[in-house]
Amino acid sequence: MTALPASMPAVASAALPRPPGVISSTLTVARRELRDALRSRWFLLYTIAFAALGLGVSFVSAAGTGGTGLSGFGRTTAGLINLILLVVPLMALSAGAASIASDRERGMLAYVLAQPVRTWEILLGKFVGLGASLLASITLGLGACALVLAWKGLRTQPASMLWLAGLALVLALGMLSVGLLISSLARRASVAVGTAIFVWLTLVFVSDLALMAGAVALRLRIEQLFALSLFNPMQVFKMWSLHAADASLDVLGPAALYAVEEHGSRLHALFGACLAAWVLLPLGLAGLCLSRRSPL
Amino acid sequence: MTSRPIHLVLAAGLALGAPAPAQEAEHAAPASAPRAAAPDPLRQGEINRLLREAPDGATVRVPAGIYREHLRIDRPVTLIAEGEVVIDGGGQGDIVEITAPDVTFRGFIVRNTGDNLDHENAGIRAVAPRARIEDNVLDDILFGIDLRESPDSIVRGNRIGGKKLDIARRGDGLRLWRSDRALVESNEMHDGRDSILWYSKGVTVRGNVGHNCRYGLHLMFSDDVTITDNEFAGNSVGIYLMYSTGVRISGNRLLRNRGPSGYGLGLKETDRFEVRDNLVVGNRAGVYIDGSPFTRAKPGLFEGNTFASNDVGIIFLPSARGNEIVGNNFVDNIDQVVVSGRGNLDANRFWRGDAGNFWSDYTGYDADGDGIGDFVHESSTLFENLMDRQPALRLFLFSPAQQAIEFVGRAVPAVRPEPRFVDEVPLMRPVPVRPEVGVDAGARLGLLASSGALLALSAGVFALAGVLPFSRRTDSSQGALS
Repeated sequence: MTALPASMPAVASAALPRPPGVISSTLTVARRELRDALRSRWFLLYTIAFAALGLGVSFVSAAGTGGTGLSGFGRTTAGLINLILLVVPLMALSAGAASIASDRERGMLAYVLAQPVRTWEILLGKFVGLGASLLASITLGLGACALVLAWKGLRTQPASMLWLAGLALVLALGMLSVGLLISSLARRASVAVGTAIFVWLTLVFVSDLALMAGAVALRLRIEQLFALSLFNPMQVFKMWSLHAADASLDVLGPAALYAVEEHGSRLHALFGACLAAWVLLPLGLAGLCLSRRSPL
Repeated sequence: MTSRPIHLVLAAGLALGAPAPAQEAEHAAPASAPRAAAPDPLRQGEINRLLREAPDGATVRVPAGIYREHLRIDRPVTLIAEGEVVIDGGGQGDIVEITAPDVTFRGFIVRNTGDNLDHENAGIRAVAPRARIEDNVLDDILFGIDLRESPDSIVRGNRIGGKKLDIARRGDGLRLWRSDRALVESNEMHDGRDSILWYSKGVTVRGNVGHNCRYGLHLMFSDDVTITDNEFAGNSVGIYLMYSTGVRISGNRLLRNRGPSGYGLGLKETDRFEVRDNLVVGNRAGVYIDGSPFTRAKPGLFEGNTFASNDVGIIFLPSARGNEIVGNNFVDNIDQVVVSGRGNLDANRFWRGDAGNFWSDYTGYDADGDGIGDFVHESSTLFENLMDRQPALRLFLFSPAQQAIEFVGRAVPAVRPEPRFVDEVPLMRPVPVRPEVGVDAGARLGLLASSGALLALSAGVFALAGVLPFSRRTDSSQGALS
């Protein structure tokens, strides 16, 4: 299998019609993946849950202000960040984890690889397609929230909703690549999804709680605490949202204040690099695994 | 004050051998510098000449133009700018000095003082009582308006903009030193250090705007001051009272004062104060109370204020005792009320009679419909309690892990912390927000627009995938694969 991509061009130029170009075959896979994703029950469930919970957060915070309309970057956006941290990674991880493993289980992967497409074109196609489905879900949910906030007359910054949506997408892409990595390693779809949920639990709860406990027990200095928190994509997303949407990272206390004083204008690049690493590294590893393993 | 004689000696030294008065000599100094070697096109010393010709009590009208001048007004006159009159200090020394009582100085543009903090170079300095300094624009100045022992003065309608310097090298936009009963009204202060009152009794500060300064307004040992209808936004601290007694603060807007201090209103060992009907929004801490009230003479009163969207509504130091916080709105502050360090707020009261405050995080209900919640409002969450002890843990705010900890705190009574404070009679509806906040149509439209953009993007993806009922089904992908 690994030798196939290298030998393909020679064969193709001799007798077979030219294989489709990289972009076109990637997009073909992506479109199929997107359509399958949007039609799946899981997608529907997650999207409805995300939108409903987001609307709930918006209504509750509108009610909480007692009609004063005074809500800057208060509990509204905090609630939305919290919700995104819970739902979006779960959605992305499980979507990524289910995709390749279930294809392999059904023999679909071997079938597709028998076509004139390269392994990484399939991977990239799946990434783009699933990423687009996540984009649809995130924008639908947050768009509905923004509508409610506008209707209720809350003074949430319009740009902060756009930032939130954009950064949620980046977080989702990162988690999607982790999911694809899990999926390319696992033999069965059920194992892959189980692993994905475990990873989600670790990133959302366990690592934060462990870091909190560590910070107290080991008396971590604030710069160490900040540096360690950069390893968790959820924390990076949260800090970046606060920094970008309201430029008030100092909400997060001494460690964040240190970050602002120390890094200042470089913070965008720093957070961006962290999340980009979460997108690119697992995806690259997944490509490596896929090309080395039998599609069966 | 100590630097002033040195400055005069220097000026007098330069004046030796020349019959000109000291002011002329002062501006002779830059003329000797190589930069100004060419004849200066600006008019020099003309306002001083006009002043010398005018009798006491006269009204001197200065024609429009740019004057390179260091002005000393040593007789009681009224000086009025006719049109756009710019007095440029050429980046040296002070610009206008008022040494006679009852001087009015109105409508000038004063710019470009020196930047020597030791000499406290000022745009306009008054050292005599009853100065009226009105409708001037001060720009690129180290100190702006500096009243030194000028009681009963009026500073009104001026716009004071500091030099673009690092905050530590800036001067005070407005400073009152032993200037009792002064009126500071409708001024705008920006990009300065502080607007500060030193040892000045009975001052009224009304309708001013201060932004991008260190302290919007700072009181040091200044008693019986009234502070009303001002707006202090985007400073390090909005209003900071220190060691002052009998201060009334009402109708002010204290917005987005952030940074390591970042208080809307700070009270340090202040006594007999009333804080009413202020709008305190988006600050790091709405109010910071340190050792106030200082005596038991009168409770510190907070009534009718709205604290919204601050990181912390009110921070109490454990030394703060005897405050009465009644009939305020606490809306959407991340922490509504905090005790810095450990302890509770038993020495302060959050209700009077049968009315407390409105809390946006109140979880009770009002079955009998009397507008008062049927359960007491207690503030105690496990995570807030943790943050009090370990401030670095604030980094985990808004994360699901925080929620998990708070859930544990609610579910397991054994680890539930003592409440910080109790409001026995929380209000179900907010008190009217004063000063009023209109509906922000711009924000609403913007929100609608961003909502539309997001929804359109979502619809676009659905259409691209061909799953919307009205979109064309493209099966070319399957054709390519099979």
